[in-house]
Amino acid sequence: MLFEIMNMSSSLVQKQAVAEIEKCNDFTVRFGLVLSHSDAAQLVETRTFALKTSGRIEFGGGVIHKLIWAFCDSPYISMNNYTEILHELTEMFYFYKNETLDLMSDDDLIKFMKDSFDGKCHGSLELLAGRELANMARNLRCGYATNYSEDMAYDEEDDDGEY
Amino acid sequence: MANIEKSHIIDKNKLSGEFYFASILQEAYACGVLDKSDIENIQVQCIEFLAYKVERYNSGESSSIRVEAAENIMKSNLYTIGVYLKSLPDVGCAVDELKIAKVPEMYEKGRKLIDIKFRTTEHIYKLAQKNRVATLNYTYNATLSGDGIGLFFKSYNPDYEAHECGGSIDYQLCNPVIDLAGVEFIQKYLESLFLENEFCKNFEAIDIHHLLCGYDEGYKDLLINVFEQVLVGTLGCSLMKRNVMKLDILEDEAWYLQSELSKDEDYLIALKISKAAEEVIEELSITNLALSGYIEESLPKITSNIVHAVRTNTLMKVFVTKVNPDLRPRIEFSTGVKMDDEEYRKLIDELTTCRYSSDKLALIKEKVRSFADIEDVLFDAFLSKREVFVLLNSFQDIEIALLIKRHPFSTDIEAVDLSETEQTLRLYLKEYIRRLAEDRKERIFELVRQLIDE
Repeated sequence: MLFEIMNMSSSLVQKQAVAEIEKCNDFTVRFGLVLSHSDAAQLVETRTFALKTSGRIEFGGGVIHKLIWAFCDSPYISMNNYTEILHELTEMFYFYKNETLDLMSDDDLIKFMKDSFDGKCHGSLELLAGRELANMARNLRCGYATNYSEDMAYDEEDDDGEY
Repeated sequence: MANIEKSHIIDKNKLSGEFYFASILQEAYACGVLDKSDIENIQVQCIEFLAYKVERYNSGESSSIRVEAAENIMKSNLYTIGVYLKSLPDVGCAVDELKIAKVPEMYEKGRKLIDIKFRTTEHIYKLAQKNRVATLNYTYNATLSGDGIGLFFKSYNPDYEAHECGGSIDYQLCNPVIDLAGVEFIQKYLESLFLENEFCKNFEAIDIHHLLCGYDEGYKDLLINVFEQVLVGTLGCSLMKRNVMKLDILEDEAWYLQSELSKDEDYLIALKISKAAEEVIEELSITNLALSGYIEESLPKITSNIVHAVRTNTLMKVFVTKVNPDLRPRIEFSTGVKMDDEEYRKLIDELTTCRYSSDKLALIKEKVRSFADIEDVLFDAFLSKREVFVLLNSFQDIEIALLIKRHPFSTDIEAVDLSETEQTLRLYLKEYIRRLAEDRKERIFELVRQLIDE
């Protein structure tokens, strides 16, 4: 085919993405978080892999710099786990873009991830992916509010005194 | 001069109507009119334009998109550019435009053309609805309705799905529309349908109805093309030197044509049909060039059908005789008044506890007084196959005909939706009919045809 859009991860786009990520260091350095050039390049590779496995494509630098900006002030992130967490968050992000049927904007999804990571999950990526994001995606698909839970429904019934 | 040369280099027949843009690039590259750098430049522009469209599609809220969605948008963009390139005077001009113009510019021009085509198509739809044929054919009416092709006008999305042609189109044209997509497909389809209607308007709706009944009395549920049947009818009349207006050809005449045409070679038959078509056009005073062109376009297919029918001795299936179903005697059967529920329950209790078949049958004969009740008993009394057969033996032809009418033999697939008792009854009935003498079977099925639908 003349227009094979899956093969668009040109080196130019990759370089642009790496540069965008490196630029974030200027801001994150105040939290003691810095990414090397090879870290940034590996993150871009993870993004490419995540996009491919989730059947998505992206134009431009992508969302990694947005994830960095959102998560850099988290109390659960330090230089020891910074890159590892970013890799996980990147994969999680694209997976849940699909799971939420694109009903949530990038910014809203990142905000939800950050609030849950710092809040209910206390820095646990397992809880974030396996519980909070999964529940939120299911709620969205079923037409409930993103924070709806069956416990809440039972509580309401208890309040009414019907059960 | 250069354009003429380019037009000659690129084979127009190799260009796809549906994927015009991609095919012209391929051909131009293959002929050396565009080089690799030209193609790469266009590809890069297309990708950049796709990025712009995706951003708009996502309303700036998402930086990524599902591959299928992006591919769909890309197809839509390419289709839109193709519409613009097709509008240029010739292929040479299109190639020149590809070299000079930017992809977004070509897209915008194509997008405007699609808007114009959409409005034109809407107008043709109204015209086709206005000159529609009064027929019972379901697919014809459903396709022309608002829930058929009308859906296209509600659901068409020229910004991101310009190449899609939504809408429910089940009615098959005599000359199917091929190698087109999107609004171009719908426009061509409606233009053809309008011409078919225009031709059929020359005849009385009742004559068309009788002609189609001659083809098959259940034509309302068939996927047939009304225009094709009417045109074949007129060709038959013309070959027999009859007035085409009445679409009336007798069975003997079809036999006569069979014997006459079977003496001819294929090309001679084709010649005769072509001449007959000219006579039809003249007799109907068709001055619309598009319509006469459409008739000519339909002839190869019709000729091939006629030649095949001549060679297989089945021409009377092509040149059908009109049938007026209203002339057939009609029978209205009253199933009678049902017995009281309490009394019926008692009867069923007795029947289910009764040991001997002879007693059961005697009981039914004694207590049951109406067809409605006997039908219920067949369902509820758990009669064995032998008992059902004995009971059916006591039925008159008309009662068996009514049972067939109300419980027709279904295919295994249709039978899935039926209850077990209904399936069993239909199976017994089918076997019972199979065992009957041929003449009685024919009598019963004739009665089935004559029974009025409830």
